[in-house]
Amino acid sequence: MPQFEKIEYKPIPVSDLLLEMKNLSELMIDLAYSAALFNDKELAEDVMELESRIDTLAYLLDMEIMIAARDAKDAEMLIGVSTVAAAADKISDAAADIAAIVTRNIGIHPIVGEIFEKVEERLMKATVKEDSVIIGQRIDDLDLAARMGVDIIAIRRNKDWILDPDETERIFLGDILITRGAPIGIKEFKDIAEGRLTKLED
Amino acid sequence: MVEHKHEVFEEIVTRFVELKNTSELMIDLAYSSLMLNSKELAEEVQRLEEYMDKLHTDFELLALTSDFKKEEASGFLGLIRLGVATEKIADAAAEMAEVVLRGIEPHPVLKLAIREAEETVTQACVTEGSPLINKTLKEARVPEETGMWILAIKRGEKSLRPKPDTIIQLGDVLIASGYAEGADDLKKLASPAHQCQIE
Repeated sequence: MPQFEKIEYKPIPVSDLLLEMKNLSELMIDLAYSAALFNDKELAEDVMELESRIDTLAYLLDMEIMIAARDAKDAEMLIGVSTVAAAADKISDAAADIAAIVTRNIGIHPIVGEIFEKVEERLMKATVKEDSVIIGQRIDDLDLAARMGVDIIAIRRNKDWILDPDETERIFLGDILITRGAPIGIKEFKDIAEGRLTKLED
Repeated sequence: MVEHKHEVFEEIVTRFVELKNTSELMIDLAYSSLMLNSKELAEEVQRLEEYMDKLHTDFELLALTSDFKKEEASGFLGLIRLGVATEKIADAAAEMAEVVLRGIEPHPVLKLAIREAEETVTQACVTEGSPLINKTLKEARVPEETGMWILAIKRGEKSLRPKPDTIIQLGDVLIASGYAEGADDLKKLASPAHQCQIE
């Protein structure tokens, strides 16, 4: 049985809660697909933990919305906010369903992962190899979002996953990186991470 | 025999990727429709939802008829569940778009949150002097140049779903999603001479 705790009201702006729910739910989908297709149990368990974080956020948001509605007009507009939050929550539930394929040992046919890596264009796994120019660099110095429309969403290091790494995080030899973004950008980034391409273009 | 099997898998995975991409496009379009209070974009989400239903059924039928062995059943169950998850994501996107279709102006807080998010939605109008004018989307290389992905093009009253051979015209409004860093690059590319006001 899952454990449920009382969630105390905290005065957090609705926009902050929504923003975090949007960011987290989208991150979770990408992490969940990665966990399923690369058959990674730890990553799948991390997705499950994020799911409970989203539940807490949704709960807090509901309370804020209830407090904010003073009249019928407020209620009409706020119901939209609550619908969007519920949808973000549903997206995170879907991510948890995907992760559960791994945590419950159902698995996905191994050939699928192999083909998926070839045809999927928005998610990519890369291992940082010896000749890579990104070793020792900070994520913000790489400026990947502006340069190639790419974002590092997780790093596997010393058997642990670092999810949504900080901008100040450095890249080490042997890191496994999961990236998402523009199709051409992630291909280019994989070549850079694996040392086949030695120049970061502007 | 082994070769044949691989082909079947390739077909299944290709369809799954189509499901996955469509469901993610729907989320982007749904957030865009909320941010811009655009009924056309919200309707596009609803159309894609119908398309998803068909796609999902085809995918399930293909997986179920692919003649797998008993020991492969679990792996196929995993695939089926992946498909169900994409459908759930598409449903969530359709629910968001419904907010716009009900005709109540989305609460300002929604706009704020979508604009501030890591992956944001932006619009840029194509003004005089832009190198994009009269180029096809394929030639314009917007994702390569800016990291932004064009979701829709507003031309007059109409809203088009972009294809590689769609030609960008003066006066078009490009609706795009991507990391916030790319939004300014897109605006510079589309309106180099002066910023235009679209709200």
